[in-house]
Amino acid sequence: MQPSATIARGDAAVSLSHVSLHFETDVQALVDVSLEVAPGERLCVLGPNGSGKSTLASVICGLLAPDAGSVTLVGEPVLRDGAVDFAAYRRARRNLGLVFQNPDDQLVTTVVEEDVAFGPENLGVDPAQIGERVRRELHRVAMQDYAKADPTRLSGGQKQRVAIAGALAMEPAVIVFDEPGALLDVRGRRSIMRVMDALARDGITQVHVTHFMEEAFAADRVIVLDHGRIALSGTPDEVFSHERELRALGLEPPFAARLSELLRDRGVDVPWTCDDAELKASIASACAASHPTADDSGEKDAAPEVEAQTQPAPQDVAVSVEGVSFSYAGSSATRGGAGSRGALEDVSLAVRRGSLTSIVGQTGSGKSTLARLMCALETPDAGRIVVGGIDTRPRKNRRLVHQRIGYVMQHPERQLFAETVWQDVCYGPRNLGLDDAEVTRRASRALELVGLSGREQVSPFELSGGQQRLCAIAGILAMRPAAIVLDEPTAGLDPRGRSELRRILGDLHAHGVTIIQVTHSMEDAARSDQVVVLNNARLLMAGAPREVFTSHNAKMLRECGLGLPAPLAWAIELREAGVSLDLRQGSAPLTTESLADALAAVATPDPRDAHDQGGD
Amino acid sequence: MALRISMGQYVPRGSCIHRLDPRAKVGAALAVMITVFFVQTPAQLAFALAFAAAVLGLSKVPVRQALRSVRPLVVMLFLLGLFNLLYVQEGHVLLALGALRITTDGLWYAICYPLRFTVAVLMGALMLFTTTPTQLTDAVDACLAPLSAVGLPGHELAMVFSLMLRFIPTIADEAQAIVDAQAARGGAVGEGSLAHRVRAIGPVVVALLASSAHHAEGLSRALDARCYEGGSARSHWHPLHMAGRDWLALAICAAYVVVLLLLGML
Repeated sequence: MQPSATIARGDAAVSLSHVSLHFETDVQALVDVSLEVAPGERLCVLGPNGSGKSTLASVICGLLAPDAGSVTLVGEPVLRDGAVDFAAYRRARRNLGLVFQNPDDQLVTTVVEEDVAFGPENLGVDPAQIGERVRRELHRVAMQDYAKADPTRLSGGQKQRVAIAGALAMEPAVIVFDEPGALLDVRGRRSIMRVMDALARDGITQVHVTHFMEEAFAADRVIVLDHGRIALSGTPDEVFSHERELRALGLEPPFAARLSELLRDRGVDVPWTCDDAELKASIASACAASHPTADDSGEKDAAPEVEAQTQPAPQDVAVSVEGVSFSYAGSSATRGGAGSRGALEDVSLAVRRGSLTSIVGQTGSGKSTLARLMCALETPDAGRIVVGGIDTRPRKNRRLVHQRIGYVMQHPERQLFAETVWQDVCYGPRNLGLDDAEVTRRASRALELVGLSGREQVSPFELSGGQQRLCAIAGILAMRPAAIVLDEPTAGLDPRGRSELRRILGDLHAHGVTIIQVTHSMEDAARSDQVVVLNNARLLMAGAPREVFTSHNAKMLRECGLGLPAPLAWAIELREAGVSLDLRQGSAPLTTESLADALAAVATPDPRDAHDQGGD
Repeated sequence: MALRISMGQYVPRGSCIHRLDPRAKVGAALAVMITVFFVQTPAQLAFALAFAAAVLGLSKVPVRQALRSVRPLVVMLFLLGLFNLLYVQEGHVLLALGALRITTDGLWYAICYPLRFTVAVLMGALMLFTTTPTQLTDAVDACLAPLSAVGLPGHELAMVFSLMLRFIPTIADEAQAIVDAQAARGGAVGEGSLAHRVRAIGPVVVALLASSAHHAEGLSRALDARCYEGGSARSHWHPLHMAGRDWLALAICAAYVVVLLLLGML
């Protein structure tokens, strides 16, 4: 694609000078921001939620005019010292593309190719050229086989790629990505990153707004926003070296950075870096230096000794799934792409009382269906599900089941409805028919657990996105269920929100609540008591993380679209590079800390005892 | 679930009905839908039903899918038809049980009214099944051209109509999710007394409005970003033009209307 002719050579594609913007609520969204984006540059804007990064994205793609400062977009001076030139804005917008979080809101028709054609049609492009652009852009995002498909039936990642093709078909000089991966699973995020890499190779100017630091590596330049100000700016390496500031802002350093820091704490001689390849090479040399003859790979690839998994006694089982099959074909209209194929086929498992169980599997594997079945929102076609001794099938049992097992569905904040946080949280306990004193007690305890005490009289719609989710979760906790099922509870949260939620789940777990979470994060799964792996509607395996996540199973997990927890994946690669790590079942590292400990033991002949540095 | 609506979804099939110019299709469908109100005699009813069945066959839309999508409405129409059965007192008395009198006319209205509406609903559904939202928008846009000519937002209305179709399944899914979430919190929608159900539906509506407002916000941002500015300067990837088969379809439709009216005069 040729960059638009409106930018003269050497001029910035986007130029912001001393820009400030505030919303009616007196919130300063941007404070004195100055920024230039060169043609062909790939800029990444990092920041936690509420840092003003989405506002900045809107300003850059011409959808929001700041209150003060000057803005020049693709050669059009749209704002001069706070004076808006609407005609210039309209001209500039024709050369700016935007892709944002929710792909559902960006698609305007129900045929993929028609949707990609929508933008060019709006620009008045000649019909013969539109067909050419649609073909080219669908090919670029690898969606050419879906030209006639209905986008509402595609996966999130596919939808988002259609949205990208739709933006590219308008041949913008600059394309802005506003958290395009926030609502996607790991696989969807990776596919978006691949598309962005391809665009960078084609020389297309990109501005990428995200809170995932891993996604910022490939950028030419990174800026970090904090409370509407540019806190840090530079190449990815320069910015990431300010680790303490980044952590203070609630951003999570990439895995390599965390590992290199832990290793340095343990006295291993590696440089601080966030570059995967560099860190692996230095670890390999550090370990080779201390163990010149470290090559004892003989005994490693023996099949893992299968530990007989002790079946929990019946009274210890919180949820028992016995030979369950389920298909959506029976309901009047089939949606969700499952077709008439079973959504679950002959799945059996037991969840021990008080345990933390993770259900993993790629999109469409039946995870959410299993969660819905456990909560008695569907009943199995065959087999049965028993929750706390109660069969979910009889209609009269459902209310009892709902009291015993709480269900936090995906994006629970979308189900908030009451005037105040307090009323929303009380809804469940009131339905249980409890007296006022008990309702009050439970609601305030639930709000305390999620850290929303003091916000009782606020409207739930005024809370931030992360707080809305916590409020919705409090609504479930107030019912005091013995077990709680969460469907992707951390999806769409920034790192601070994710760690907050992990802390809450940890608290509940410590109080003896059975927790079942559907998750895309192998790191979260590695921290649970039991991992259940679903693939194509069937149970692939179930067991403790150390039984499921082994080098032996790595290939099988990868084949069903799952990865290994990063520490184990690193350990396997490092061993292949000659580091003598013990990867037998039971001793393979599943957390960053245990990987660092294991490496420290190999690297230094006389390891300091670093085990007391636990925690995460 | 009754909330899951499959109406209004494009069903890709390469039939002759699919290939028609959307303006011809919308025009013909409207003509058929309006003229069902002239159906008064059994001959007319049979003719209208036969015509609808022929169009359904030509469209290659799976019969079961078509019938399933109109079922909720048709069931409701037949329930309303029961009122006719009991209320209309003209004609010969077929059955008398105290105050309850069922007459030939009552029986006929109870059959005829729902069936003729079924024809109308089916034609509407077939129009949606065989026309992409973009084509439909273009057709509605063309129909609203007189509005645009006098400065009213004809193009924009057409766009709103098309977005409505696009979001019906999304909103229906969300309604389902909200009902489920509240069922899981003990607020069973669709159980208990009427008063209880009415009260239970309140939270669902509020949550649904909130999420719709959220969608609307995202959508307006997307439309701005994609430079949608109404119809004036837009081009069309597949410009509409009436071909011979479109005129033929309109002629067949006109012939149908004439025959239907003539049958009524016999």
